[in-house]
Amino acid sequence: MALSNNNSKRALLSTGVLALAGLASTPLLAQDAQQIIRDRCLACHTESGTAEAPSFSRISEQRKTPEGWHMTLNRMIHLRNLQISTEEKRALVKYLADTQGLAPEETEGYRYLLEQDTNIVETGIEPGTAEMCARCHSGARFSLQRRTEQEWKYLVDFHMGQFPTTEFHSLARDRQWFDIARNDTAVKLAEQFPFETNAWSNWKAADKSDLMGRWRVTGFIPGKGEFDAWMSAAKTGEGKYDLDIEGTYADGSKLAGKGNATVYTGFEWRASLTIDGVKMRQVMAADKAGNNLEGRMFLAAEREIGGDLMAVRDQGAADIVAVQPSYLRSGVSTELTLVGQNLDGEINLGEGVAVEKVVSRSKDRITVIAKANGAEGMRSVSVGKANAELAVYSELARVEVQPANAVTRNGGADSAMAKVRANYRAVGYSAGADGEAGTDDDLRLGYMPAQWSIKPADEVAAHDKDDKYAGMINAAGIFTPGDAGPNPARKMSANNVGRLAVVASVKDGDTTVEGEGSMLVAVQDFVRRVLD
Amino acid sequence: MKLTNTFKSAGLAGSLVMGAALSAVAPYAMADQEYLLTVTRPNQLHVIDMSTNEIARTCDIPGPFGTGSIAMSPDNTHAYVLSNGTKDIYGFDIRNCDMTFKAEQSSPTLQVISMQSITVSADGTELYTVQNPVKKHRDRFEVMQPRLAVFNIEDGMNAKVVRTFPVDRRITKIATTAQNEVILGGADLKAINPETGDIRMVSKLANWEKGPLWLPPDAFAMHSQGEQANEYIMPYVTAKFDSEEWNFETAEWWWGMSRVDLETGEAERVETIPFEFIIFNFITDPRDSNILYGSFNTLSKHDISKNETLAVHELGHTYYDLNISGDGKTIYVGGTSSDISVHDSETLDKIGSIQLTGDMSTSDLRVATIKD
Repeated sequence: MALSNNNSKRALLSTGVLALAGLASTPLLAQDAQQIIRDRCLACHTESGTAEAPSFSRISEQRKTPEGWHMTLNRMIHLRNLQISTEEKRALVKYLADTQGLAPEETEGYRYLLEQDTNIVETGIEPGTAEMCARCHSGARFSLQRRTEQEWKYLVDFHMGQFPTTEFHSLARDRQWFDIARNDTAVKLAEQFPFETNAWSNWKAADKSDLMGRWRVTGFIPGKGEFDAWMSAAKTGEGKYDLDIEGTYADGSKLAGKGNATVYTGFEWRASLTIDGVKMRQVMAADKAGNNLEGRMFLAAEREIGGDLMAVRDQGAADIVAVQPSYLRSGVSTELTLVGQNLDGEINLGEGVAVEKVVSRSKDRITVIAKANGAEGMRSVSVGKANAELAVYSELARVEVQPANAVTRNGGADSAMAKVRANYRAVGYSAGADGEAGTDDDLRLGYMPAQWSIKPADEVAAHDKDDKYAGMINAAGIFTPGDAGPNPARKMSANNVGRLAVVASVKDGDTTVEGEGSMLVAVQDFVRRVLD
Repeated sequence: MKLTNTFKSAGLAGSLVMGAALSAVAPYAMADQEYLLTVTRPNQLHVIDMSTNEIARTCDIPGPFGTGSIAMSPDNTHAYVLSNGTKDIYGFDIRNCDMTFKAEQSSPTLQVISMQSITVSADGTELYTVQNPVKKHRDRFEVMQPRLAVFNIEDGMNAKVVRTFPVDRRITKIATTAQNEVILGGADLKAINPETGDIRMVSKLANWEKGPLWLPPDAFAMHSQGEQANEYIMPYVTAKFDSEEWNFETAEWWWGMSRVDLETGEAERVETIPFEFIIFNFITDPRDSNILYGSFNTLSKHDISKNETLAVHELGHTYYDLNISGDGKTIYVGGTSSDISVHDSETLDKIGSIQLTGDMSTSDLRVATIKD
């Protein structure tokens, strides 16, 4: 509805034809989407411009990611009483993301938010906007929007109208918050994230690749492990694909699933699949040629739980997409799997690395027993014309826990919110040429299997027994926080919150190397946003 | 409420059991009867007899919970509460829960909230709020200048604004002085004449001139419940740096306050005690203006003439605010959850508890003294 009136109840009367249009496989014409805006949005928004090139107030002066537009529509539905069918909503998100989206380079550096990989400490946010905006939002939230200066200013007024306490918060009440926001921050945002950019006009004009075909996929699913798979994308409409995925986990067990994908803005791959009964989502970006996809796959019900995902299109050429594991310890015979496509010809694992035995071999998967000798460093791996890299090391020097900083949240029990968990992985490094761990020349070996444990972050956390109450970590590196609600057993009946260190212990020969991550177990966040 | 426990504890403390007995036998024998007022979710105003620590009556407030901000008439017989997301004001006769006043500040095209800001004129005829209006256009909001709004209390259940005057942004608690100026608790403490709209500076905070080594104060009054000492307190946190290196670790951190004497309208601004723990609300002992009490995770007692903390009592959970009996002997700690914790002001020992029907959340804890 309008902010001020309530005349949109008519909206559902004319749904029929358009709802069918949304379901049909024919491409959504711009006119159809514009008609949805006319039918659903003009109770509040106004149209200007020409019939061929209409302009809609508040809508036509912004560019956003698909998730950004999705959020806007959710907000219109929940706060402004917009009446719109699911099909129309989908069609509008697609149309708006396609015609008022962000160019690939405009999303660079902020894709973690789209990938819902938010256990990250952002760096490089401009200090002014960090204090004014990123004290509540992620920096990526506003960095993934493009608006005219007027629209950035309207956004400030929106904050004051929708969340009137904004200017009374800590870090707001000690300054002229509203004046700074409207006269300084909004102007700066318009300079930093302007509506009109060369990047966007170039991308709009560029030819976009169709992403149908066969994709060689590698990824990681928490609790299951690394996997490789084939995913076929069969085109069902403009930017719409049916998906079929089949593959193998590192332990040899199989995975299979089906789903569908929508490509927004010519490169934003969003897919929903059910893999072995579990609903998953994929968020990836296609490169300009449309032959590589990169991003993350996570549980549909629990977006914090996920892992890296990559896909390389089968174009008939030989390609190694992954070496699993990505490292060899010098002098130790180790089973190694080369994942790829169209793999023909001689296997060469690089200088000083011997193939002791070929365990199995197909065109897309080769398993060997290999043994490395010689100096630490990266080796060039090849199978015929396909190339990849392999790390050879003699001693594990340090272990990095990923994520280095995480927030999980109490939930469950009688709470309205489910627990927010986190999944961990350990990355191994050798010391590099200088023999000193923690320096720039450390050699990244890759993900390593680890034993997981937690301990209190410091003396206060130990005194409060945070490690006892705040949660547990399992063998797969998945941390599950404690139940929601006050706990009478704790001081001041505190919730099961806590500050923990998450410890990865990685075996290396006769020794064990440990790494630590920092975990904050917090109370529930009762607002669920498309983008944090 | 845990009546038995309260009485046992009160017996130990001595004074309360006397009051309770008197009130039970001869309720009209007491000259000045003190009532504790607070609001709980979903939206009830409780009137608690402080001689027995029992709920005397509970008034249903229309609409959803606001923030529980309460203002009292000068004779303390009526309480005015911000309700409905702090958009509406309702007035009650606390002696019988009769609803005597209602003002809806918002309209379909104008959203108006008051951030805690509500007070009654010295003569009891007018009610003041600070309104934060936002115009609702069809497809956008437009932020308007905040204003002092004046209502005639005798307009009753359909009260409309009779005068407005522009004021600063970010005003929270307001209070009326004996001269009928309205103290505006914002970035600086100012006072407005509600007849003319003239504003004078009472106590500079954001614009103070303490020199470059002092951190601009973070001043905030979510509650200011100075009725027992007839004062208004705006607490703040500041820091004195040892050099222009701005080292937060080595800086001296202080609690401070601007405290307005509501009899004279004059203010003192002082750094009171070192910042050692969070205090969300301060009150002054009515017997000694150097003695302050504070609450949050602890109940604490301070002598600001010596910048000293005299006693600290760990609380069972967080309590946002507190108040004190007129004789200065008993402290009531409330807000946040559903129980008011009763303490001896000398030792800070807990001597009782009053269980309410819902959470107080951000609500005020006011004392209304009805004179016989």
